[in-house]
Amino acid sequence: MYIDVRAQKTYAATGGKEFDKSLPTIMFVHGSGLDHRSWALQTRWFAYNGYSVLAPDLPGHSLSAGEPLESIEEMGDWLADFIRAVGVDQVHAVGHSQGFLDVLELAHQAPELLKSITGIGTAGAIPVNPALIDAARNSAGDAAEMLLMWGFGPDAQYGISAVPGMQPIAIGRQIMARNPLYQDLVACANYENGSAVAKTIDLPAQLILARKDRLTPVKAGMAFAQELNATVTIIERYGHMLPIEAPRQTLLKLRELIGGLEQAA
Amino acid sequence: MSRSSYLKPDTVALHTGYVPESDHGSRAVPIYQTTSYVFESVSDGSSLFNVEQGGHIYSRITNPTVAVLEQRIAALEGGSGAICTASGMSALFTVFITLCSAGDHIVSATQIYGSTATLLKHTIKRLGIECSFVPVNDEQALRAAIQPNTKMVFCESIGNPGLEISDIPGIGAIAHEVGIPLVVDATFATPSLCRPIDHGADIVVHSVTKWMGGHGVAIGGAIVDGGRFDWAQSGRFPELTEPYAPFHGIRFWEEFGPSALAMKMRAESMRDVGASMSPHNAFLILQGIETLNLRMKQHVANAKALLEWLQQQEAVVWTNYPDMASNPSHELAQTLFPDGAGSMLCFGVVGGRAGGAAFIDSLQLASNLANVGDARTLVLHPGSTTHSRLTVDDMKAAGISEDMIRVSVGIEDIADIKADFARGFKAAERVAGGA
Repeated sequence: MYIDVRAQKTYAATGGKEFDKSLPTIMFVHGSGLDHRSWALQTRWFAYNGYSVLAPDLPGHSLSAGEPLESIEEMGDWLADFIRAVGVDQVHAVGHSQGFLDVLELAHQAPELLKSITGIGTAGAIPVNPALIDAARNSAGDAAEMLLMWGFGPDAQYGISAVPGMQPIAIGRQIMARNPLYQDLVACANYENGSAVAKTIDLPAQLILARKDRLTPVKAGMAFAQELNATVTIIERYGHMLPIEAPRQTLLKLRELIGGLEQAA
Repeated sequence: MSRSSYLKPDTVALHTGYVPESDHGSRAVPIYQTTSYVFESVSDGSSLFNVEQGGHIYSRITNPTVAVLEQRIAALEGGSGAICTASGMSALFTVFITLCSAGDHIVSATQIYGSTATLLKHTIKRLGIECSFVPVNDEQALRAAIQPNTKMVFCESIGNPGLEISDIPGIGAIAHEVGIPLVVDATFATPSLCRPIDHGADIVVHSVTKWMGGHGVAIGGAIVDGGRFDWAQSGRFPELTEPYAPFHGIRFWEEFGPSALAMKMRAESMRDVGASMSPHNAFLILQGIETLNLRMKQHVANAKALLEWLQQQEAVVWTNYPDMASNPSHELAQTLFPDGAGSMLCFGVVGGRAGGAAFIDSLQLASNLANVGDARTLVLHPGSTTHSRLTVDDMKAAGISEDMIRVSVGIEDIADIKADFARGFKAAERVAGGA
């Protein structure tokens, strides 16, 4: 669906069903240079099984208009405005990679809008190699090549796809090459508030990490989980692009975590 | 460059799409000879049907062995996904009916395979889809032929049987100016010699029966979605951007982006038309693809050696090979096919139609049959077989003459191929001398 956020046309995937704010709502936030399609194999299940879902494209990404936001703090602030624009009281927020940094900032700035936070393939800080930023400044496509080589785990590098016949690396490249990857990477590189923000957050929190993650290694995620007082799940065999590489395992874990919170509520 | 894998092409051809399965560790890709797949639960089945998760339901739509082949071909071509079909013709039909409805229009190069010409000119016309034919690489004619209802431009990277080279970058640029995709049949080249997506094509089609399979043992087709075409910006493809009623109103472009076309073909054409590839054929074609680059090198080397020899034979009236120095497409061939423009060549033999027949009938090593791209050398007289349904004018427009012999040069020892052809020329010369 399209809604106006800060007077800009903004796209949010709703999992193939009309958004119904009377249902428990889960918001999925994509990573650097990506878009709502990262969550294609999680959002549809939740939408058809008792939840409402929102997977926005951040400003300037894929189907959303506007200029890209320049910092993680701004992205967190924008997410708060997005939730208010949709008119929902509270959401479970799920973020992948940079998307979780955005969720952290949202939780810091507007905790009243959240029921829980979940980070996937992430940590409290995501340092970015300057060579990658340089490449992205000149060509999002070239930077996407570098990022995806490191981002996908071994199975995806051998062309294994959860969706028969598809090539996730090529799909990721096509999306990243058209999006403001440079601005996203700079925002990631500049974000240093993760540890400080973690101390202010008093929400149910969980991290789903990937054993073969070379961009946000398990070690970094584990350390941040302690700061955040988050539960941790490690999915073996897969890399940083967990929602795409291991969609089913990611979905099952999200169902367990968010379903458990909803049952308890 | 469009990339689906960081592995090199020779490695992709052997490994992509499959890692040894966990139950038995089978090194070769197993043949999943099954029609259907057990659901873990009712809920699991429901979520598969609703595209809430990836997986297999019924082998008309997807099959694990076929999926390995699809993922391997997509990676070889640099596409976002691929669909394998029962044949090359069904691959083309799938593309045409996925992107076109009654009242729509296609612009095609004239110089294409006879059955494809028939499909475009007669069969889909009965469905209300019109096709205009223009000489390949005639930019003015192409621009003039494009209409508001045109949904694609179609050409073959190397035309069959005239061996014209399509200027893929030039044709693609004209198509993209008006927001329509370029569809390229790349059967004669294979991704070993030219990857059309790298040069501006949006969709690549193959008859994998030919060089991809390479051994003449299995019929099959493939469609590769380049993933780069913006179906929404084009404004001509509500099939991909508007709600699709049979699937809970799914909007393929919004939902799948770079794989929207491949997903639509899977969800609609494979389901409704059912031109699916058998898992056994997928396995056989996978065996061929494992050695694709090795074979193509030998095919090209033999074709070039045979061409050089043919040009010295008195019984040969004319020769044609795409990057032959005297060929108008030589420069284009050098650019698009730096490792050789395939292994098809054509020539005219003395004695006209009768001389051609005598030549073919006297061959022992080369086989006279209606196929190309076998590891073995194949010969054919197009005018009396593959293109026999065309009128004389249509044949002329397609670059075919009555004396044309089409050769699909195999990977036998070149000395044996020459010896066999020498026998044929003697027979042709006897006919010519008697005439």
